Amino acid sequence: MRNRIIFTPLFLFFIIFSLTTAAQNQPPVEYTVCSACHTIGKGKLIGPDLKGVNDRHDEAWLISFIKSSQTMVKNGDPVAVKLFEENNKIPMPDNNLTDDQIRGILTYIKNYDETAVTSTTTAEKPKSDVPASGQDDSSLKMQKQKYGPGNTRPTFIIFFVLFLIALIDLTFTKIIKAYFVHVIIIFVSIFVLGEIVYVEAKELGRQQGYSPDQPVWFSHKVHATQNQINCLYCHSTAMESKSAGFPSTAVCMNCHNVVKKGKITGEVEIAKVVNSWNTKKPIEWVRVHNLPDHVWFSHAQHVNVGKRQCQECHGKVEEMDKIVQVENLGMGWCVNCHRNTNVQFKENEFYKEFAKYQEEIKAGTRSRVTVDDIGGNNCQLCHY
Amino acid sequence: MKKYWKSLDELKENQEGNIPANEVAPEFSIEGLTEDEVKSKLKSNRRDFLKMLGFSVSTAALAASCEQPVRKAIPFLNKPEEVTPGTASHYASTFYDGNDYCPVVVKVRDGRPIKIEGNELSSITEGGTNARIQASVLGLYDSYRLNHPLKNGQKTDWTTLDSEITNALSGINVTGGKIIILSASVISPSMLRIFEEFKTKYPNTEVIYYDTVSYSAMRKANFETFGKEAVMRYNFADTEVIAGFNCDFLGSWLSPVEYALQYSKSRDLTNGKNTISKHYQFESWMSLTGSNADIRYPIKPSDEKVILANLYNYIAAKSGTPQIQVQASPVDISKLAEDLMLHQGKSLTVSGTNDVHIQTLVNAINFLTGNQGSTLGFERSSNLKKGIDERFEMLLGEMEQGKVDALFVYNVNPAYDYYDPAKFINALKNVKLSVSFGETPDETTKLCTYVCPDNHSLESWGDAEPFTGIYSLAQPCIQKLFDTRQMGESLLKWAGNTMDIHSYIQKYWEENLYPKQSEYLSFTDFWNHTLQKGVFEVQLGLYACPLYNFDYLMSLAPLMFADKPASGLELTLYEKVGLGTGKMANNPWLQELPDPITKAVWDNYLALSPTWAKENGFAMEDLVKINGTMELPVMLQPGQPYGTAAIAIGYGRTDGGKVANNLGKNAFVLASFINGSKQYSISSITIEKTGSTYPLATTQTHHQMEGRPLVRETVLGKWQQNPESGNELHRITEEKAVSLYKKPHYDSFHWELAIDLNKCIGCSACVIACQAENNVAVIGKEEVRKKRIMHWIRIDRYYSAVPPEKIGPDEFFNLEPENPEVFHQPVMCQHCDNAPCENVCPVAATPHSKEGLNQMAYNRCIGTRYCMNNCPYRVRRFNWYRYADNEKFDYNFNDELSKMVLNPDVVVRERGVVEKCSMCIQRIQEKKLKAKNENRMLEDGEINVACAQACPTKAIVFGNTNDKESRVSKLFDNARRYHLLEELHTLSSVGYLTKVRNKNVEDINENSEQHS
Repeated sequence: MRNRIIFTPLFLFFIIFSLTTAAQNQPPVEYTVCSACHTIGKGKLIGPDLKGVNDRHDEAWLISFIKSSQTMVKNGDPVAVKLFEENNKIPMPDNNLTDDQIRGILTYIKNYDETAVTSTTTAEKPKSDVPASGQDDSSLKMQKQKYGPGNTRPTFIIFFVLFLIALIDLTFTKIIKAYFVHVIIIFVSIFVLGEIVYVEAKELGRQQGYSPDQPVWFSHKVHATQNQINCLYCHSTAMESKSAGFPSTAVCMNCHNVVKKGKITGEVEIAKVVNSWNTKKPIEWVRVHNLPDHVWFSHAQHVNVGKRQCQECHGKVEEMDKIVQVENLGMGWCVNCHRNTNVQFKENEFYKEFAKYQEEIKAGTRSRVTVDDIGGNNCQLCHY
Repeated sequence: MKKYWKSLDELKENQEGNIPANEVAPEFSIEGLTEDEVKSKLKSNRRDFLKMLGFSVSTAALAASCEQPVRKAIPFLNKPEEVTPGTASHYASTFYDGNDYCPVVVKVRDGRPIKIEGNELSSITEGGTNARIQASVLGLYDSYRLNHPLKNGQKTDWTTLDSEITNALSGINVTGGKIIILSASVISPSMLRIFEEFKTKYPNTEVIYYDTVSYSAMRKANFETFGKEAVMRYNFADTEVIAGFNCDFLGSWLSPVEYALQYSKSRDLTNGKNTISKHYQFESWMSLTGSNADIRYPIKPSDEKVILANLYNYIAAKSGTPQIQVQASPVDISKLAEDLMLHQGKSLTVSGTNDVHIQTLVNAINFLTGNQGSTLGFERSSNLKKGIDERFEMLLGEMEQGKVDALFVYNVNPAYDYYDPAKFINALKNVKLSVSFGETPDETTKLCTYVCPDNHSLESWGDAEPFTGIYSLAQPCIQKLFDTRQMGESLLKWAGNTMDIHSYIQKYWEENLYPKQSEYLSFTDFWNHTLQKGVFEVQLGLYACPLYNFDYLMSLAPLMFADKPASGLELTLYEKVGLGTGKMANNPWLQELPDPITKAVWDNYLALSPTWAKENGFAMEDLVKINGTMELPVMLQPGQPYGTAAIAIGYGRTDGGKVANNLGKNAFVLASFINGSKQYSISSITIEKTGSTYPLATTQTHHQMEGRPLVRETVLGKWQQNPESGNELHRITEEKAVSLYKKPHYDSFHWELAIDLNKCIGCSACVIACQAENNVAVIGKEEVRKKRIMHWIRIDRYYSAVPPEKIGPDEFFNLEPENPEVFHQPVMCQHCDNAPCENVCPVAATPHSKEGLNQMAYNRCIGTRYCMNNCPYRVRRFNWYRYADNEKFDYNFNDELSKMVLNPDVVVRERGVVEKCSMCIQRIQEKKLKAKNENRMLEDGEINVACAQACPTKAIVFGNTNDKESRVSKLFDNARRYHLLEELHTLSSVGYLTKVRNKNVEDINENSEQHS
């Protein structure tokens, strides 16, 4: 409960924050691809910094270059050839985009307000002394304590010993003559022990605070915050499928073909990715967020239809060097959210099926439609 | 008043008012244990209690200290563009196993084919399937499949095998020896081209077709009477009169999925149609088709020819063609003959008997009634069933004399299904080079020197031309599971062509079919689109109908009745709707599919007429010896003609796999070869009691619904006058229905099902479709006998008969029903809006959803089974055991490979929970999500439940009744609509439409008089 109290304002802050920045200048979806290799105003990544790119080249040239840079290089366009050579002859992949989509990207770059983000990124500069092999045990425990139900073992042992002593004294030693003392101790102990058992049992099979070591020391903070890679670039099926998808090694290699040295881990960890590609063996990640098999959960439903932010369930992943399960992912947690969350009732045409609610909203007798209102807490929404 | 009963036992119960011994225990007793189990329970004592206590404490402690398992997420190395983990892809393909043809769509989830649906773009089936096609996906994951090539039973590799076979073939080429490819009928045009290519390299090659169930006489008769050695295409859709003679065209004959669709079109009374075809059926066993007939005549197999000859004479007399000398017909055919004459060009006479005389007569009747070129014809003649029996007999002779140097066996199994397997096995010993392409080490394959295992059809490229000018493509839906190779590719390799089969088929299509169309301007376009759609049709030019050759009929006439008349008990061999010819006998789904008529599972048996059996002292489950050799139990089957018997083929496999082996007896050995064709009926068989009994597992009486108006029916004449006819009760019940509670209202969707009993033929495709979609467990014969079958949808079968006026109703009960009418009624969870099960659940595991569905939350269920006791429809199923990963249930759930067929969207239920039809909630949710993702409303018909999708006759319609324009709403508006047990006011969401038979009152009386 305490956790929730702490996290709710954090979430709210984050959502408000992300909404306000988004309102200023929403990056087009297509920009996701660009952001893998380019920054705006943060220096050269793989490709050149895009800041001021609109001033450096005219629009027509940019459009054709973005569509297929290699065609231009082959055709001997002097600017294109020069750029190609300046950037270690790394070809920029072709993009199947329309002219309007490209103009959208260019407008976004032109209007990009770097101050809005740089303030956070500079503050998040990685500490260079973090060991490359990942976190040690103590930090793991800390995370467990931070997110888990808390350590109840000392309390349990104390009350269990009290219980035993009271019981032994009551039957054998009989030091305390007043029986009501025994009775009170026994009853209180049973109550406390029962409460602990109940709380612990509820957590059985749940993995709040779970943060296993991964085969590759991968930091979401580096990728998502510092390099500004959109979640969907790697977890690309979250919009269309039940599973958000783990990036295939090929996706990693899009960048790590070139980026061979990490800011924190140096060459060791990236070499593992390259090795996976070379040996044709996929990386076996350890799943952190597990739902039981009898729960049917769809990312598409929540991300695309419900317009939920990833962070609402996964926590501030973009601030984690090592992924940890923030929420308990229990049914109560799901149900509560379904009770309180509004569906995209006006925005999504699908909800026209709910004629009664439509009328009520029109008549002003209903202010909102929650997930629960449309059957979001039916058993067979998730269990079948 | 008509009487309905579901089995003979039930009929007797009704009369005697007592419950038979095996019914003493309540259907789902509270204990639910057998007698032995109860006894062992009683022995438990205090020590057991302490043991249990200790055990549970330690398990609890163990569970508490248990660590969560580490779960891995292994992504693709390089994700293919078209694959999205967690969502299904669908690929159009073709199912053809040598018997059934069906264009299909394969649902592939994360790389695994998990479900087969019909292809709605096909003009032949329009998306229908049958039970075998639905079940075929399990065959892909059959652990009995060969996973590498064999030489003399030992593992070998393809290179060695190829060089040895090529050397042997070259040797034969030099000596001029004979090479035979023995194959099931091939309908693939590119495969025929491969045969040609093989023949070019090895000129002494001959392809001989062998059909498990032969249609050879039909080809021969067509050749003699019309000059075309082909099988005609039939169209039941436009018929007004259908006459079937021992022809199970809805269940097993030629192309049952296609005929079921056509038949249902001719029986449709919705969409403003007000008349249906009239179906006469003459048959020697109770077939699925006969059970749907308006007027059914049980006849002896030997009488079929006499009846047809009389029918021919009657029609010939009217049309002025010569008649045949024949004795009088045992049944009155004048009415049928009049009907056929009246509906010129709008009728069909079909016979499934493999006898040239009979097929010649049938052709004559169809010709004289103007059907040639109308309801049947050679224009788009069928390429199915190419086998000629005489050629195979000759081949056996040649093999015995050592004249055959090489035999390639493809997709046939004569060592099992030839009537004299020993003869084939001995003849095979004289063949120097024997090569089998068998997918499994079956009876024939294990005898061959070399085995080059073929891919499963879901791993193969292929094409098919089932009817002239109608094509379909097959594409692999999964990477090969084992080290197998497609048969065509093997032949190509040996013929010296290194092309792979994919490019070969593509090349064939580019050269032969691409020029026949004008829609696409490049071949790549054409190929990609055709592959996506799966089907392709070529327009045909004008076609002249051939004329019937009456001279041939006249030349046959003196021979027709020259044989000595049949006597004694006559036996017919028939194909079961589920198991068919036994090719897929290793499929546990099919073995546990209740036969639509007898409702028996896991066995074949000797079906006898109840009256005849009584007179001769045979009772149900008596083990009898047939012709002194084969022992089978007796099944008393109403509708089985007096003095006849019937046995299903397809059982008694010896090398069929762990599921198939030693179930039932192989009845193929009772067939014979007479008059140039294989005969599946035998006269003068002897049966004698062995004195012992053999338990049969049937699902027949464990869903009793004691004498309530469950099936409502009427006849066409009455219905035309009053659409409510037969369903008057519905209005009365609706008027009487007064409830304290408000009628439930659903804001958005109200999912309901309409089932048109006039279209449902009882084929059971829905049962298997549901099993595949919803991970329903197979539980085995013993458990079925304990009435624990797990199917979420069952098809109730009721018999009815009218007592003859001559005798009083009391006497009627002493009559054994000889020729009852049969009704099929699919029953699944009725999703009552006022559900009796919901109120009694102590843990609220089965609440009602906001969309009108009765939900079942397995993880909440504690297994009290109160809901089962309170459900009036008996549709809830209890998991008595953990059926998955349990060696005692060694079926598809206990096999790592077979488990790959499981639908990942539906959980596998644990022991101790109740399950039932969920109205395919996973499909509803999937399509709802799709609509939301695409920011639009749902369309009617977009969501389809598994049973409705599989239905070949489109009898089941699913939809949202809140949408007044939906198909299901329109069917619910029909005056024929009623609900099961609607008088209980359960407000069920499944509506039935009354059955209308095309007969009038005179027919009913006449029919019952004749055969009672």
